[in-house]
Amino acid sequence: MEIGSFIKLQRTKQEKTLGELAEGVVSISYLSKIENSKTQASPEIIKLLCNRLGIQIDNREEELIKEKLNDWFSMLFEVNNKEEIIKAYEEIQEILDRNLSENLLLFEIHKIRYYLILGEYDEAAKKINELKGLSNNFDSLQQFYWYKFRGNYYTALSDYSHAMQMYKKSEEKSGYLEYDLEEIEIADLNYTIAVTHSKLRNTLEAIEYANKALDIYMKLYNFLRCAQCHNILGISYRRIKMYDKAIKNYNLALHLGKLNNNRQLIQLTNQNLGYLYSTKGNSIEAIKHYTEVIYDKSIQPVERLATVSSLVREYYTIKNYEETRKIVNYGQELIEEISDIESCRIFYYVIYTYHYLLTEEYDKFEALVKQDFLPYLQKHEDYASVIIYSKLLANHYEKIHKYKDASKYYKEANFAYEQIINI
Amino acid sequence: MKKILAGLSLGALLVTGFAFADAPTDLSMDREPSVFSINQATVEL
Repeated sequence: MEIGSFIKLQRTKQEKTLGELAEGVVSISYLSKIENSKTQASPEIIKLLCNRLGIQIDNREEELIKEKLNDWFSMLFEVNNKEEIIKAYEEIQEILDRNLSENLLLFEIHKIRYYLILGEYDEAAKKINELKGLSNNFDSLQQFYWYKFRGNYYTALSDYSHAMQMYKKSEEKSGYLEYDLEEIEIADLNYTIAVTHSKLRNTLEAIEYANKALDIYMKLYNFLRCAQCHNILGISYRRIKMYDKAIKNYNLALHLGKLNNNRQLIQLTNQNLGYLYSTKGNSIEAIKHYTEVIYDKSIQPVERLATVSSLVREYYTIKNYEETRKIVNYGQELIEEISDIESCRIFYYVIYTYHYLLTEEYDKFEALVKQDFLPYLQKHEDYASVIIYSKLLANHYEKIHKYKDASKYYKEANFAYEQIINI
Repeated sequence: MKKILAGLSLGALLVTGFAFADAPTDLSMDREPSVFSINQATVEL
């Protein structure tokens, strides 16, 4: 960061006017030029201005800053307590407010990731915009993180295409940083690209990058990250119908999750295994894995609700209406627990769709699926689900001999099929 | 497939999500682990 921008940043933080800072040192217009990098002030003037702002411009604390920053950077990539991350952040910010450090820019860039982890997406966007003006002067290391964290921002918005563009730029920069980047950084980028390819349904690329990340994590004995890679591999092999390989990867993930007693990872894997068996038509195994998830209190209600939705469909498909009823009731209880209804609207639709079918409240069933659920799925281009619920509605109309309506929704299902083929 | 961004505040983020996965926002039943590996369960702000 240029000294002028740094002075401006600190002056505005301390709520000083240009006049207050310039008084007795330089003219206001000259200070403005310094701040906007339109002139190069002498070291004496810079020293006077920094003294007035209480900033050290020697590098006495540089080693300490570097050490603290490295600790904080690693906290942003590993399983850590948020309170600790916030505490370390505040400590570093306080030191950097009174020191002109060569690492300041790297700290500012890492703030993007920091805000994303805290869920403060608006702050992350603000930071990105703030840094855009400076990004032309970033060195390769700064650019590596700049693109990676901008990718993270798009990931947080579920915009995986833009995320991928950013990650690829970051990967390109990593090529110039052979000696500056630790292996774990490379592994994390490979893992992130693998996840993004998986989200974009680029299955072969997801496998390639997950394996690259896995190789490094294995060498580093980082078993939790290995388990994450095994989940990506499991998903990918399931998609290309290599079920044995998928199951092998999921079992490895389960094993590593159990070794580390990590409930979240275990249940994530159970959800994926449940879905694998469901797609293979093995409802008994699917139900077994889904059931593991839904009663685990260490998993948040909205997560359990997502799995409950899968389980309801599974029981209904095999015509076990008694169990469907029980699970629907449990889903309704979970919905009651979740205060933010928007975060679980889609699961609410699933649960109540089956609830109305089971209670034979067909008017409500038709109204919900036609007026709310299907438009919602279409709006979000979730064509796979449009097929399922259009067909459910069409079947219902066929049963009650409303063939015109049945035909309409079979057509909708067909249209959704076409959309998937086009994708 | 586009997904909605559930309007997550900090509070909402802390009460949702596998520690290793993003909060589910659609009916896709494959659940990728998160790119933000963070132990949310231990946090009480």
